[in-house]
Parts: sequence; structure tokens; C-alpha cells
Amino acid sequence: MYSFEVERPTSVADAAAALGKDEAQALGGGQTLIPTLKQRLASPSVLVSLAGIADIKGVSVDGGTVTIGGGTTHGVVAAEAGAYPALAALAGNIGDPAVRNRGTIGGSLANNDPSACYPSAALASGATIVTNSREIAADDYFQGLFETALEEGEIVISVKFPIPEAASYQKFEQPASRFALVGVYVAKFADGVRVAVTGASEGGVYRWSEAEAALSGNFSADALDGLTVSGDDMISDLHGSGDYRAHLVKVMTKRAVAAAS
Amino acid sequence: MSVTKPLPHDSAKLHVTGTARYVDDIPVPADCLHLAFGLSDIACGSIQSINLDAVRAAPGVTSVWLAGDLPTDCDCSPSVHDEPLLSDGQIHYLGQPVFLVAATSHTAARHAARLGQIEYSPEPALLTIEDAYLAGSQFGDAPRIWERGTAAPAIYAAAHVIEGVLDMGGQEHFYLESQAAMVMPQDGGDMLVHSSTQHPSEIQHKVAHALDIPMHAVQVETRRMGGGFGGKESQGNALAISCAVVAAATGRPAKMRYDRDDDFTITGKRHDFQIRYRVGTDESGRIEGAEFLQLARCGWAQDLSFPVADRAMLHTDNAYFLPNVRIESHRLKTNTQSATAFRGFGGPQGMLGIERVMDHIAHTLGQDPLAVRRVNFYDTPETQSGRTSTPYGQEVDDFVLDELVTKLADQCDYSIRREAAAQWNETNPVLKRGIALTPVKFGISFTLTHLNQAGALVHVYQDGSIQLNHGGTEMGQGLFQKVAQVAASRFGVPIETIKITATDTGKVPNTSATAASSGSDLNGMAVKAACDTIRDRMATHLGKNVQFEGGSVVVDGSAIPFAEAAKRCYESRISLSATGFYKTPKLEWNPETGQGRPFFYFAYGAACSEVVIDTLTGENRILRTDIIHDAGASLNPVLDIGQVEGGFVQGAGWLTTEELIWDDKGRLRTHAPSTYKIPACSDRPDIFNVSLWDGQNTEDTIYRSKAVGEPPFMLGIAVLMALSDAVGACGDIYADLNAPATPERILKAVQKVRDGI
Repeated sequence: MYSFEVERPTSVADAAAALGKDEAQALGGGQTLIPTLKQRLASPSVLVSLAGIADIKGVSVDGGTVTIGGGTTHGVVAAEAGAYPALAALAGNIGDPAVRNRGTIGGSLANNDPSACYPSAALASGATIVTNSREIAADDYFQGLFETALEEGEIVISVKFPIPEAASYQKFEQPASRFALVGVYVAKFADGVRVAVTGASEGGVYRWSEAEAALSGNFSADALDGLTVSGDDMISDLHGSGDYRAHLVKVMTKRAVAAAS
Repeated sequence: MSVTKPLPHDSAKLHVTGTARYVDDIPVPADCLHLAFGLSDIACGSIQSINLDAVRAAPGVTSVWLAGDLPTDCDCSPSVHDEPLLSDGQIHYLGQPVFLVAATSHTAARHAARLGQIEYSPEPALLTIEDAYLAGSQFGDAPRIWERGTAAPAIYAAAHVIEGVLDMGGQEHFYLESQAAMVMPQDGGDMLVHSSTQHPSEIQHKVAHALDIPMHAVQVETRRMGGGFGGKESQGNALAISCAVVAAATGRPAKMRYDRDDDFTITGKRHDFQIRYRVGTDESGRIEGAEFLQLARCGWAQDLSFPVADRAMLHTDNAYFLPNVRIESHRLKTNTQSATAFRGFGGPQGMLGIERVMDHIAHTLGQDPLAVRRVNFYDTPETQSGRTSTPYGQEVDDFVLDELVTKLADQCDYSIRREAAAQWNETNPVLKRGIALTPVKFGISFTLTHLNQAGALVHVYQDGSIQLNHGGTEMGQGLFQKVAQVAASRFGVPIETIKITATDTGKVPNTSATAASSGSDLNGMAVKAACDTIRDRMATHLGKNVQFEGGSVVVDGSAIPFAEAAKRCYESRISLSATGFYKTPKLEWNPETGQGRPFFYFAYGAACSEVVIDTLTGENRILRTDIIHDAGASLNPVLDIGQVEGGFVQGAGWLTTEELIWDDKGRLRTHAPSTYKIPACSDRPDIFNVSLWDGQNTEDTIYRSKAVGEPPFMLGIAVLMALSDAVGACGDIYADLNAPATPERILKAVQKVRDGI
């Protein structure tokens, strides 16, 4: 780890100001960033901890929407987002207890790891990512591996999840790290079904539109029988081949539909 | 009597309270230096230039060594002097130590070690078994071939011929305590070495060689290891030698421990094997002729690969009589870490080959795999049908597996559950169950005959307390407690009377590694000899008809406390200290011809595992495992059952979740618990019934017990065979599942069996 300064603002405005400094980097729960720093893969001069900002923490429900503060830990989401059971279940199965007690939803979405769980929930739910300057639809937010629509210094204040009629997240875990080898989030709304896949594609989280079309007409696992998934653009690494991931995408989607029906 | 009692591990309280002291816990003097290696970035080639200016300038660095700066070549090999401590200009694997950094802290040394600028002239690397086999890259002038009878004609004449290929991966030891050593310089250039090693005498020998000083100038002490599994038989040499070199050059203490990633990257692992087989059987599935080609990936240096590959050959038969057999073994040299000892020492690889063959025969003939196994078993002492000779000529004269397997199959309802699994599979298209019952026969003794010796040193103090020392090392397996129970039994005193002390080359010299499962056999006997020497002296002095029992010495019917007896002997100038020595009898072995008696006896066991697989993903679970294992007359049943449970789980891990991946540059990509999955407590079977066979060793071992360290590892083979049984339920083709059977590999096997792809 290289040396750096730490700022601990207590308001979003102060945090935004601190992030304006040269080579400043926002710090959420640190579950990705701190190991990255330990490996000396990044060298920010200032870390701006968002942990002291009360305004960006907590879970609230308003009509058909669950709003989760960007600084809310996975553990809190698991315990308090019961109004959206599939989301709470996803949060409760991220990593291990240490990760769930430190890691935040804002940190996960800002990082957009191709094997992380949360991006699939946001994309499948059609969530809105609220920052200190604007609101971004999930469809516009995820832009590839570790790439998002966030500008320099932009902070995730909250995420607004419309609550679907039914939803389920099914994760095939890489057994050692418990990251998603493939994770599929299926959400059924009155106007259609959305399916988001994480862990699999070289392009990061994506919507499987053929499955959405099939399921919107017939929300049952059988509706997917005729579909095939190509392994061509899938991640091929030491944990699994692209073909294996492609195969798992369909299986996990079916499982998610079955669990949600 | 203390032996046979289920006493807890002697350090159990220290373990669970975190107060058991390991090498890294020993307080160091203030001026201690900390060491780290700079590692190569390529797998094969030569060094063109090295610039270590940034390393030397790094904070805390006091000095840096290249090969030319060392006092000698500082060879680390346990066998043929082919492992210079630091690269001599040639690079043999990615991760090979090139330079050595000494700094004022562990972290400073590791940071500095990454700053070396090395330019290489790369050469094509041989990484895989196929690469090395095709290139003819191997250790030794020719493959080792052992034959008995005439295999090829027997196979030609047989009713059925079955052939196939089995690939099995290696395995990282993953001891919880990584490699560590500390050296304190003493008067006149002597060295005191603390090492996390299974082989203190080897550390002593290699440090003395490196510094060109006599062995008497080097004292090695090992209190305990946090796991060894064979990974600390030879792999600790580099650290102890490095510390000694730095201590000799600077006069300061030196300590070195590998970070987990470095430990994975630098040290050797279990040999991965490919086994090609061709067997001929009669209509009952009985083997009439068998040929095996065993290809072992040995890595860049010879290390212990010859005895490992020999032991694989020696376990090609497992529990089965092979009338005509040919075994050809290639020890392949590759540009990877030098594969080394790992629990079973090649035995598991050889045994897995014949177990695969048994299942393959059963499938071909449409028989129950257990029936095929039984028809191939060696004779029991009662049957006498001429099927008792192993391929290497040793007689199997106490074959208990027929009886043991019958008992296990009855206890676990093997036949009923096999039928139930078949019915269940008929009605469940997605999940498939499989069940397998596999036996283990494992030879006990070092195959290098002269290693089968041990020494002990026992002192009785005038207050009646007893201090015990022997050449074995404690790595968590419970050896010290078992040996202490022997001493307590010889003197008839409570176990608390005995103090177990750290293994120390200054107390017992010329010891063998604590390996080959022989720790209790050898050291227990040596301690018994030492105790009996003292006991006989005491008895002779105290009178006639002397008994040692219940904490007392009974002389002509009247008891005096043991402490009082010790005091009386001391005051009468009776020596209360003795050494003991033991060498295993009956051994005679020629590895060149593959004939003789390499083993004093065999340990037996059997496991029945039931599994379920998901044919959509390859996910799998072990539902139930039943084990009966033969530990002879157990010295300590709870410690032995602990070894059986742990051995099974580790064996199952080798064959299922533990997958080592090297990329095409030769870099090991699985080098941490985030990428390499060892079984955890939650991965053990939900139903796990383990018991010991009620018998005793027919050979005269310590209290008629049997060695228990390695044999249960091979009980894990039942899991792979159960998984392939489950895959086999998907179609008619034989499910030749390779290891490790990861979900992806299981899915591929399902697709092959079900869809022919």
C-alpha cells in the first residue's frame, strides 16, 4: 500500500468538495478498494471515506419503491429490505459476514465488478441510481467491465428499486471466493420481465433480451427451452470456460423463474 | 494402562486458546533480520542481466544475495543435489528464487523483493504431462518397468479387454502454518535453527552443508508444525539455509516465512498423474492380465519423485491380486514447481488407477462394482487359493479386507441403498445419485529401507517426573500424545507424569522424517526401549517380582509411589536416563528390480460414499460416508479417528474441489484461498460414520497398533467413484470421470454419457 491522506466528511457536500482534490478517491466499505491498494494497483493521494455520512444510509419503502442509501451495508439491506424479498436475499448471500458488514451497495455499483451480485439486481429491477448531481437509469448506468456512467467525483446517494410482482436471484458460486461464476436476476413486472446476468459476460452485467421476450409472454421455466446461449463472448478463466458459463446462464435463469413463480 | 485410552491431543488446550507456539511466535532478538526471495517471472530460460539497485535502496534493506554471493551452492535437494538455493543463471520454473533480501522487517523484505529488475532470455517451457512425455523430458535414464508374469499374452487371451486413460490433478498441501524458519547464531559460528519441518535432521544436514561446517555445529529444534502433510519434508530446506547464510554473514538472527501466495508459488505439491491402463478379465471380471503406464509430473527438480513414483507403482494392485502385470513409470521433468511428498506419497495416485479399472470392468460386464472388487481380492488367511503374492513379491498374509468390507457393506446397507439409488434415478431426470464402496490396502514402511530407524531419549527425575524426547515431529496429528502414552504405560504412571519436549537434533541424532505414516511405529518402539532400559535398572535395584502399575512400583506385593522409587534409585546411584533405538525388522527391497519386502505390514480400510449430482450444472454433494478403518490395536482411538476423518476429507478434496491451474506461461493462477478451494467443515458428509476395525497387528508393532497417518487419505477415492457412478446413471457409456471432479468436469462427463458429446 502506498501512503495516502484520509478525509472523513459528514455531509454529501463536504464529500463532493473533498473528491474535487487531485487524485482523490471515494471509499465505501473498502471490500474491493482496500485489497486493491494493498496490491499497489492504485495510488490515490486522498481517500474520502463516505462512512460518516448519515444521509446516505438506510432503507426506506414508499409505495412500490424501496430506496436504499448508497452507504448502506449488505448486512443492513439483508435485514431491512424485506419489502423486496429477492433483493434482501441477494444482499444476505454476498461474500461472507465480514464482507456484508462492511461492503456497501453504493461501493458495489460504483465498482461494477463483472462478478458482483448487485449490478444484476439494479439492472433487472430497472432501478434508478441517484447521485449528488442527477438520476441515472440502470439501463444507462452499466457500461462494461468496471465502467459506469458516473463522472469523476460523483457519489451514489441512493438506489431506487421498483418492487416487482415477483423476482429471484440465483447465483452459481465460485466455491473458494463465493463470487458469482454466473448469477441471474429475474424480475417480473406488470409490463414485462427483465433478466440480468452477472459473472458471465466479458462485457459485464447485461440483459438477456431473448429470455425477457420469452418470459414476458409465458412466465415459466419451460418458456426458455428453445433458447441457446453462445459461449463466444463469455468470460473464460481458471474458474470455468465460456461454454460452461453460457450453459449456466440458461440453467440459472430457469431456476430463478422457477423460484419466482 | 495409558495406551488405548481416548485421551485428547496434548496441546489441545493450547491450540484452542491460541497459545500453542509456532516458529513465527518465538520472540526474536531486537536485531533479527527478516528475509524474502525475489522470484523469477518466467518458467524457462536464462538470466541476461540483473539490476538490484532499487532493491538495495528500498527502506529497511540491509543486504541482498545472488547465487554468486553465497558461501556454497547451498543446495536444497533432499536427493540428488540439483536444487541450488538461488538460480545459477538458468530459470527452471516461474517462481524460482533468484535473489535473497534481508531487511529489518518481514514487510520491508517482501516489498523490496518485488523491485528487482531482471532481464531474461526465455526458452519454450514444458508445462504439462503431454508436453514432457512427447519431448521425452524425464528424470532417470529410462522409465522404470516392473513385471510379473506375462501381461500382454494374458490380456490377449482374456474374455474381455478394457482400456482407458485417467487424469488426476495435483494438490496443494495448504498447511495452515506456512513454511517458516528462524536461525540464531551461536558461539564460534554454531547455529541454532528453529524450523517448521517434518525432518529436523535433514535441515541440520543441509544447513551444515551450506555453511560447510560439521553437523555437530548445527542444532535444529521443532516443537510443532501447523500442519505438514508431507509439504514440510523437504520444502523447508530453502528457508532454514537462507536464514543460516544470513546469520553466518551478519552475526544477526534471521527469520523467514512465506506469505501464502509465495508458498503456493515456490513450493512443490502432490504429483499429478496420467494413468493409461489395459486389462484382460474373465467372465466374472477377475483380472488375468494388466498393463499400466504411469506418467508423473515431477516439476523441475528430482526431489522425492523417485520414491513417490515407486510408491505409486507399489500401490497399483491396491487390494487385488494381479497374476500377470506390467507397470511402466515415467518421472517427467517439467518447468513447474518441484512436486514433492504429500500424504500417501504416490500411493493414492497408483491406487486410484486400479480403482478406476474396477469400475470400468464392472460397467463393461454389467456387474456390481463391489462384486468385481471382491472377486479380485487377495486371499484371506483362510482361503489359500494361491492369490497372496503382490506384484513385487511380498506376501499378503493378513488380508482382512474381505471381512472388513462385508461388515461395512452390511452396516451401511450398501446393497439396499444401491438399489434405492437406482430406483430414485429412474424417476428423477435432473438429480442423480451414485454410491461406491472402495477398499484401501496401504504398505507401511519407508521404501528406502535405511530410513526405518528411530531413536529416543528418556529421563526420570528424582521427583518421579519423566521427560521424553524422540525423533518424531508433531504436526497436529497427535504423535507426541501417543508416544507419551507408551511411556506412561511402560512406567505404569499417569499421563501427567510425562513431559513431552520439542524434537531436537541435539537430543536424538540421525532421525528420519516424520513421514510414511511411521511416526508412532518407529518412535513409539524407540521410546519403549528407552523406558524399559530404565525400568529394568530400577527393578533390579528395588528387588524381585517388581511391577510398575497404577502410579506405584509394587515390590514383592508392597507398593511404593513411583516418585519414591525414583528417589531411592537416584540415592543409590542408579542411572535414570537412557536412550532407546528401534529398527523395523524383516525389510528387504530392491527398487531396481521391484522385488522384495518393502513393507513391514499393510494397513487396511474401506469407505462407502453416496453422492448426488445436478445434471444441469455439475454441482454435487456427499450425502453420506461410512468408514471402517484398521488401526490395529489403536494407541488412542480418538486421535486415530481424527486422522481417519481428516484423511478422508482431504482425499475427497483432492478429487473434487482442489484444482490447480497454471496458465500457458507457467504461472500458477490458483495461489490463495480465494481461488483454490479446500474442503471446509461444512463440506464433510452430513452423515459421517467412522469406526475403527476391532483387530490387532499380526506383526509385532508398538502394542500391536497400526500406522494411521496416510492410509485413510485414500478412503476419499470412494467419492470420485460414487460421482462417476452418478454420472453413469445418465446413459450407457462408461463415465470415465477425471479428477478433480469439479462441477464443470462433471457436467462435461454427463453430456458425454447422456448425449455422446
